Amino acid sequence: MAYKELIKDFNRIRSYMREFYVYGLKSREEYTEKSARSYDDERRRMESWLGDYMRFEQNAGRKTAALSVDSRVTRRNPLYKAWKTKSFTDGDITLHFAIFDVLCTPEIKKTLAELVQEIDILLVSRMTFDESTLRKKLKEYAGEGIIRMEKDGRRTLYRRSPDVEIAPLADAIDFFSEVALCGVIGSFLQDREPPHENLFSFKHHYITQAMDSDVMATLFTAIRGHRYITIENLGKYFDTVQIIQLVPLRIYISTQNGRQNLLAFHEKANRLNSYRLDYISSVRIEDEICGKFESLRKVLDRAESHMWGVNSGWNVKHTEHVEFEIRIQKEESFIVRRLEREKRCGHVEKLDDSHYRYTADVFDTREMVPWIRTFICRLTRLNFSNRTVENELKADIQEMYRMYGIDGGDGHDFQ
Amino acid sequence: MIFSELYSVYYHTVARVLETAFDSPASEKELQNCIEREAFSESTLTILPALKSGKWPLLNPDLSPVLRHRPTMPLTLLEKQWLKAIADDPHVKLFGVEIPELDDVEPLFTRDDYRIYDQYADGDPFEDASYIQHFQLLLSAMKSGRPVQITMVNRHGKRVSTRLFPKSFEYSSKDDKIRVIVDGCRLRCFNLGRVEHCEYYDAEALWHETPREEHRKSLTLWIVDERNTPERAMLHFAHFKRRAERTEDGKYILSLEYDESDEAELVIRVLSFGPYVKVLEPQSFVNLIRAKLLAQKSCELR
Repeated sequence: MAYKELIKDFNRIRSYMREFYVYGLKSREEYTEKSARSYDDERRRMESWLGDYMRFEQNAGRKTAALSVDSRVTRRNPLYKAWKTKSFTDGDITLHFAIFDVLCTPEIKKTLAELVQEIDILLVSRMTFDESTLRKKLKEYAGEGIIRMEKDGRRTLYRRSPDVEIAPLADAIDFFSEVALCGVIGSFLQDREPPHENLFSFKHHYITQAMDSDVMATLFTAIRGHRYITIENLGKYFDTVQIIQLVPLRIYISTQNGRQNLLAFHEKANRLNSYRLDYISSVRIEDEICGKFESLRKVLDRAESHMWGVNSGWNVKHTEHVEFEIRIQKEESFIVRRLEREKRCGHVEKLDDSHYRYTADVFDTREMVPWIRTFICRLTRLNFSNRTVENELKADIQEMYRMYGIDGGDGHDFQ
Repeated sequence: MIFSELYSVYYHTVARVLETAFDSPASEKELQNCIEREAFSESTLTILPALKSGKWPLLNPDLSPVLRHRPTMPLTLLEKQWLKAIADDPHVKLFGVEIPELDDVEPLFTRDDYRIYDQYADGDPFEDASYIQHFQLLLSAMKSGRPVQITMVNRHGKRVSTRLFPKSFEYSSKDDKIRVIVDGCRLRCFNLGRVEHCEYYDAEALWHETPREEHRKSLTLWIVDERNTPERAMLHFAHFKRRAERTEDGKYILSLEYDESDEAELVIRVLSFGPYVKVLEPQSFVNLIRAKLLAQKSCELR
């Protein structure tokens, strides 16, 4: 099939874009999932959509393609462009503009026959549409909320939905398009606005979430409706896609590692599990409503005071005890403030003028380890009920001494 | 749900082309410029020929519009649901705007449907009246190009006053804080939350003071291919300007650029990976890590 700039299926480009943006390491030959032709087409599309951000390099003798974005400088997430590439037919685009030209204000109401006739006159019969095609399109638009259908006796009347004035919201939309969940929808609103200066930039800004926007929006719809869902999930421990039925409860967002997770009830396993959104390839909302949604949410609410990351459990008695102590100098009160502002659960206590203890009971000690490592240079005591993790952390520190040439290591003997 | 042609660059661009055609008898060149401005680099190969040939019969042969009205489309339900959701966000108070006419719309999500679980707890007071007032005055000053005078408590706890030109805002989700990027004073930026007083400054004459230059530095890391570290580290550092490579013997090397003022934060972020990420260069950064480790050694960890 001839190359086209627009696409029908988003999932194909989703994995390529993520690979190009997060890694940017693979050569053409390594994209084995699809054919070489498919790789060439996807790469060409990305060049067309995101040319300014594409970079080609020689990497260990192979040519690689990468997306390079300094998200502190870029004020609009460039990955949103991928969501604006859906293909359509000649009839679709013609009908779109014709419908809203005939229904140019919310006061105008037309029957299907009247619309067919007026569109025919408007287009001077250069393209004609029958009632069935138009009815289908109007029904689709009613579902999108841009057309309203009203009954007048036995007749159905069609009108455009009332307009909402968004011009005064321009600054708020610029901000939330990057900050809020499903920000790509804000980007659709930005496209409607007249040109203006965007006064917001963003630090610690993970733009890859854009690629999971549809999964997230569908999950929210299911959560709002207390519905069961069926997902296709490629977990990190599986080579094949798993099909899983779940009750979605809440989405957990990290501002520090760019990951987004769904916390859901796995009924068959009777467990609260987390699923990374970027590993979910599809979500189907089932008709069935989960009658115990509210009680499951309450369980999750109780569990949260023992969650460091996204690992959770039913019973808060099944937690692990974590304690560590740090040493601070006189002028280092900011370290105590760091403990207070960065802790997500547990508590901090002062032992003496130069020692503080952090204590928590959490479902998964291992999730805390990266944070505890940030206090390397002042850790004086560890006391974890999970001794394996405690010993691993101590061994990690020993390994770091060796890596950096402390303790007699040569500093280069890595691995 | 989100992937729809209603939001596509092509629909948007065709609307802009038709608007241009409404404005005046438009030349083909003007329409082409419009497409180049609004759409993708290869879109001109499709959009203009489709409009000119009548494949999309929305332009007459003389390039005047077939439509009788400028093209418009009401907001979709999804767009309204998203607006309804952000109307409930505490940050929206900054903007002093009411989201209108959405009484019959359910929000796409509510605050109870998600958690930002690792955001720092000492974020800015986004619902505080004086904080909002300072934000709005600075926003207005940015748009009008007027200077302001601010009084704030600096990081050393001292009260200082200065005049400056606010240029833009920078928000960090991790810190949940807004910084103001400025010109016309020695500062390059400051935390909005530190401002105690803010007003327009009636300058009698322009002054010449420029912010201290921010030094850009680079860092090269070696990422061990264990415990899924390459994936975790590449994603963790994804927001930096960076370059990844895999050496011929299969090792992952990540080079990134950062502002010197962020160095202390970057040191602890590297430390958080433990022995799975090693600093290769520069030596000055290696020394910062070594200093941390030497200090750790003196703690005699039990």
